[in-house]
Amino acid sequence: MSPILLIAGKETGELLLDLRGLAWLLAMTAVLSGFALLLVGDTELSLLDNAQVVYDMVGIVTAVGALLALVVGLDTIAGERERGSLVPLLLTPVARDGILLGKLGGVAVAWVVMYGLAVPYLWAVGSTGQNLAAGLLTLALLGTPVVLGFGFFGMGLGARLPMARTGLLIGLIALLLAASPLVLGPSLRQSAIGRAFDAVNPFSAAVNAYDAVIIDSQAITAQAANLVVTLVWLALALWFARAGVRRVARTSPCG
Amino acid sequence: MRLMQFTLALTLTLAAAAASAGDLSVDLAPDPKNPASPQMGDNLSFHSVIRNTGATAVDGIIGWLSLVQIDPGQEQPVDLEDWSAHKAVTATALTSGETLEAEWPLRLIQAGTYRIVVSVVSRQSGELAASPFADFTVREKPVVESERVLPVAIGLPLLIAAALLWRRRAG
Repeated sequence: MSPILLIAGKETGELLLDLRGLAWLLAMTAVLSGFALLLVGDTELSLLDNAQVVYDMVGIVTAVGALLALVVGLDTIAGERERGSLVPLLLTPVARDGILLGKLGGVAVAWVVMYGLAVPYLWAVGSTGQNLAAGLLTLALLGTPVVLGFGFFGMGLGARLPMARTGLLIGLIALLLAASPLVLGPSLRQSAIGRAFDAVNPFSAAVNAYDAVIIDSQAITAQAANLVVTLVWLALALWFARAGVRRVARTSPCG
Repeated sequence: MRLMQFTLALTLTLAAAAASAGDLSVDLAPDPKNPASPQMGDNLSFHSVIRNTGATAVDGIIGWLSLVQIDPGQEQPVDLEDWSAHKAVTATALTSGETLEAEWPLRLIQAGTYRIVVSVVSRQSGELAASPFADFTVREKPVVESERVLPVAIGLPLLIAAALLWRRRAG
């Protein structure tokens, strides 16, 4: 079996099958269940209340996915370093990019599982409303680069910072800032600073696309600009992670 | 408060309709293809014709759609933002006898009984021309079905919690 697949398989197992991974999934389903249950019993819902909940859920899934990817990405280098397993990992006959891809493979599989868990919730609350299929497709198209980008970002941070805790703090602050459009309505982002922030923030791009497709019934094809922002983010984060891993390889005792 | 707003809006519209509409008149009619008993999520369309009935041209025409809910106890003006992207029609001028036709599509967002009216003003006139009312009732459509939500919202966390417990016991 390819070493990349071996690393990805090991990461996936640790993420999904051990207690830590199951606790993640339980927390995510508890949040989504809370949201879904809020709707039951409300007899004065309009079509848009229904779409609003689907939009909120899609945003939450993206945020939780990005959080998971960030933490796991950080653990990839900084965690291995603190556990003393970084040097043995670097000594394996696998290219640095292979290690990077293998580690990210674990994050990607975890994201797929989270997406899969979100589908029944979205179906339960959204199948009688509007734009459910389009919303799911938008989540896959724009949520995936955002989530994987945060995984790469975490790897890059973990490679550059000597302590995992410092990296975690910086990463969480960055994620909080990026995910702020989930709680700040569009009217609060209409200032020049808000618009500039929206233009470069991949999370804003994803959230704006969710809003446009799920609530405003716009076509997914009209979200190309938002997709580009998320793909640029993914490319920049990949570059950040690759440079960080190479730096670790150069400066570590085995480099 | 809502009742007061509704009463004020209705009074203004009726007063304007009762007054001379100057050289402009407006007709409003539902599209014959509209569903007979529409429900939430359906689309309706209305057709309006603004006509200059005077002998001279009228400049700066603006016509706009208003929607109010008229259910007892729920009387209120409705924000058209979610219901329609087409909220107004304009024309630089209407010559004598000329007409301006417009389609007013509506997406039915919430159940209830509603009334729409098209109002028109021109640049010179201080008067408002209003169309006849068009009323329609939107049937409720279940947006969330609890028999779908409950099994998922309760079942999935329980399933994962069971896996967590099993994993802990398995060591």
